[in-house]
Amino acid sequence: MIARDSIGAVENKNAADHYVEVQGLVKYFGDDRAVDDVSFSVPKGKFLTLLGPSGCGKTTTLMSIAGLHAIDAGRISVGGMVYTAPAEGRFMPPEKRDIGMVFQSYAIWPHMTVAQNVAYPLEIRKVDRAEIETRVDEVLRLVGLGAMADKLATQLSGGQQQRAALARAIVSRPRLLLFDEPLSNLDLKLREQMRVELKRIQHEVGITSIYVTHDQAEALVMSDEIIVMSKGRIQQKAGPREIYGRPVNAYVSNFIGAANLLKGRVVTVTAPGRGEVEIDAGGRTVQLPCLLGAGVTAGAETVISVRPENVEATRHNGGGASLEGEVIQAIFLGNCVDCRVRWGEFEWKVMAHPRTELKAGEKVYLRLDPEHTLAVLP
Amino acid sequence: MSTLSLPRKVSWVPLSDRLRGLLTQESIATIIVSVIVAAAVLLPLFTLVVASFQVMDASGFSTTWGLENYTALFNDRVIHKAFINTLLISSGSTILAMFFGVSLAWINARTNCPWRDRLEPYNLIPFFLSPFVGAIAWHNLAGGKTGLLNSWARDYLGAHGNVLNVDNIFGVIWVTGLFFAPLVYLFVVGSLRRMDPSLEDSARTTGAGLLRTTLTVTLPLVAPAILSGAIIVFVTSAGEFGVPFKLGAPYGWQTLTTQIFSKAVGDDANYYLGSAMSMSLGIITAFFIWIQQWYIAPRSFTTVTGKGFRPNVVDLGRWKWLAFGYNVTFIMVAVVLPIFCLLIVSLHPVWQGRIIPGAMSFHNYAKTLFFWRSDSIKAATNGIYNSFILAFLGATIAMVLSIVVSHMIHRTKGFGARVLDFLCVVPIGFPGIVLAMGVLVTYIRTPIYATLWIILLGYITRFFPYGQRNISSVMLAISEELDQSSRMSGASWFTTLRRITIPLLKPGIFAGWLLLFIIFLRELSISIILYTSGTETLSVGVYYLANYENEALTAALSMTQTVLLLVCVLVFRRVAGREALTA
Repeated sequence: MIARDSIGAVENKNAADHYVEVQGLVKYFGDDRAVDDVSFSVPKGKFLTLLGPSGCGKTTTLMSIAGLHAIDAGRISVGGMVYTAPAEGRFMPPEKRDIGMVFQSYAIWPHMTVAQNVAYPLEIRKVDRAEIETRVDEVLRLVGLGAMADKLATQLSGGQQQRAALARAIVSRPRLLLFDEPLSNLDLKLREQMRVELKRIQHEVGITSIYVTHDQAEALVMSDEIIVMSKGRIQQKAGPREIYGRPVNAYVSNFIGAANLLKGRVVTVTAPGRGEVEIDAGGRTVQLPCLLGAGVTAGAETVISVRPENVEATRHNGGGASLEGEVIQAIFLGNCVDCRVRWGEFEWKVMAHPRTELKAGEKVYLRLDPEHTLAVLP
Repeated sequence: MSTLSLPRKVSWVPLSDRLRGLLTQESIATIIVSVIVAAAVLLPLFTLVVASFQVMDASGFSTTWGLENYTALFNDRVIHKAFINTLLISSGSTILAMFFGVSLAWINARTNCPWRDRLEPYNLIPFFLSPFVGAIAWHNLAGGKTGLLNSWARDYLGAHGNVLNVDNIFGVIWVTGLFFAPLVYLFVVGSLRRMDPSLEDSARTTGAGLLRTTLTVTLPLVAPAILSGAIIVFVTSAGEFGVPFKLGAPYGWQTLTTQIFSKAVGDDANYYLGSAMSMSLGIITAFFIWIQQWYIAPRSFTTVTGKGFRPNVVDLGRWKWLAFGYNVTFIMVAVVLPIFCLLIVSLHPVWQGRIIPGAMSFHNYAKTLFFWRSDSIKAATNGIYNSFILAFLGATIAMVLSIVVSHMIHRTKGFGARVLDFLCVVPIGFPGIVLAMGVLVTYIRTPIYATLWIILLGYITRFFPYGQRNISSVMLAISEELDQSSRMSGASWFTTLRRITIPLLKPGIFAGWLLLFIIFLRELSISIILYTSGTETLSVGVYYLANYENEALTAALSMTQTVLLLVCVLVFRRVAGREALTA
């Protein structure tokens, strides 16, 4: 027992890292490949977000995990239990998968009270009456609906329905929690508040969660890891900081936050992961020192990605690598100034400090920090 | 991370595992119900086609394959005339129903006609009553010498002879048009009410007058609804049996339905020729319904704009009293007068066109209702009993079927759902008498022939789509996620159906059930083909009395049926409200 302990620990570690395992998932709608060979895993207890525009396959992936539709190829397992694997002829019906799910419309049953809604999963699992009561009470308090238990679902506000749906999803302590754009029907203020609260509750109950959204801010706030999807494929999987700071390609860079994207070519590789990229904007060619992203090699076509807040705009040429341009728009936003600077045929987005009093028509110098200038795959 | 980009080669998996994947509650229910619906709908139609190509020889015992049945349709002058009469009756009724339906709908939805909210339910009453009974009533009101209106005209207005006579093709058109006007009304009134008033307002702001706005905006927007209503009336009139049977056939105005009837039960019964006639009628009606379902209904704007609008109301000024008078007249002519006349006639021992207060009694009711009395007429008393059984069982079975079928159509997408959706429209395309003919030739050699079961089968097959549509419209309004979240909570398909779907559908289920109950309680054209002695229905009882007894007894049973239907309508309105009918 003791001798095998270390091996067991490694195996356990491995199993915990691959708690949710999606392999080679393919789903067609007619001739359309809605999900095209998607593979990922989620460690136990973590919060993963599938992020992308509508039609990118994120909801289809979620529904495949839920078992609300059959998949065409691939294999989905959670905690070592195979949910679906068409090649092996396996399909576990959704009700057997032990998943809690929060829907976009909340799907709170209007013919039941809040308490009845939340008790439902426990009744199905044949938990005895007394325990149902304590657990419903407990979970309603957790989501802040303690006083609402006997209200009909139709008497709740949107935010309250949202909480009730969450309570119903976690009350049976399922193996996995799924969220299908649960905040998209709420107004902005409530949405921002619920983001934090949802994350808090998930952390408290510690259930592994997969969250689907098209809102990048939501994804950044809530997730341990984010998967950016496009056209049924995974573009990148990484933590919030990395996906924002080190996007692998132009698509991810543009989808998460704003970015200045310029086409270019890697001229030299100066050190591992560093190099010079030549960019061309209507007659002007400049060589910029950059960080090279994965897969970007010498001589390769690339795209330079610079976040607006990483561009420094000054009235005076401070020397070094700076680009001379003309301010064509400067909008004061309170905490920053949103500037557009024309440089050749390119228009830079610059988020300048509120104290810089740039005006349209002025000549400015843009300075790029090589540590925040990324050369990524086009 | 271990990735697996290609599906694994199919390894050997225990058969039981694979079967378990396939045999879910959902798929088992889907397969069973699909087979039932497909068999119920397609088998009679298929047999009908086959039978129509079988030609009976002179002895009437054996058949050969051939086209003679169809050539007979063209060469037989009686059938030829029946065909033309059917066309004339359908066209005439459609025009009449459109006139009443559109004008009343406009008055109720878009004018300041006084008490229009109170008038509306009465405008719809003919929709629930039996047109056959309407024909009987009108026969007593204006059928030659014994017509009540005619005798009044002679007595009080000094008229000579018979002012009115409905015992001809015009009478058939009159009664049919009157009874089917609510169909057009329902289509149009829904469309008018749900129209976004800003569509008209914006036309007015561009400088178009009221008339111009009505012609260029309102009318085109309502046109699909009017057209849909017109097609439904045309098809229903073509398949109507009771009215031409009462007012047309005895006076030499045969229609296709009365001819089919005589081929099914008459002395010169010839199922094969009857099948061919049914086929020709069915092809015509199915064609029109096809046009309505696939070309007109999708172009209807009612569904696009949703509801919750307060439609623009036209101030008619003093003319509003004319509109009011017109509407009241319609209700008098279509509802009050016929029912009043039935009541009067039913109280007389023999009806001779005159009210004789001293002779009135309830004796006719005793003879047609009190089955325990020795002088009761069995065909009539059986009818009430059988009709209640049929209506109760039929509505219940049809609604169960409707729930499952609707669930499949709207919740499981795929080929099976589309096939089911199509199968549910098919019966609507065929008149009851045609479908009944199919059911007859299909099951004549089975034990269910000559039992209530064959009638029940005919009823459900023909009318369950109405229940299904009722459920579907409610189901479309309920988010699919309500079902899905139950599945995710760990409930099986069946538990979800029982605890979530059905409770949410409850109002729709009950409204649909009552609608079918009403339809079955007055059903004539299927029952008349499939009944035998002992399995008479209420309407068959009325038919029997009209054919073999006198007008007074007929009126008594007709009156009974009418009262029963009116009670159901009252309950229906309580349960369903006014919106439920527009589906």
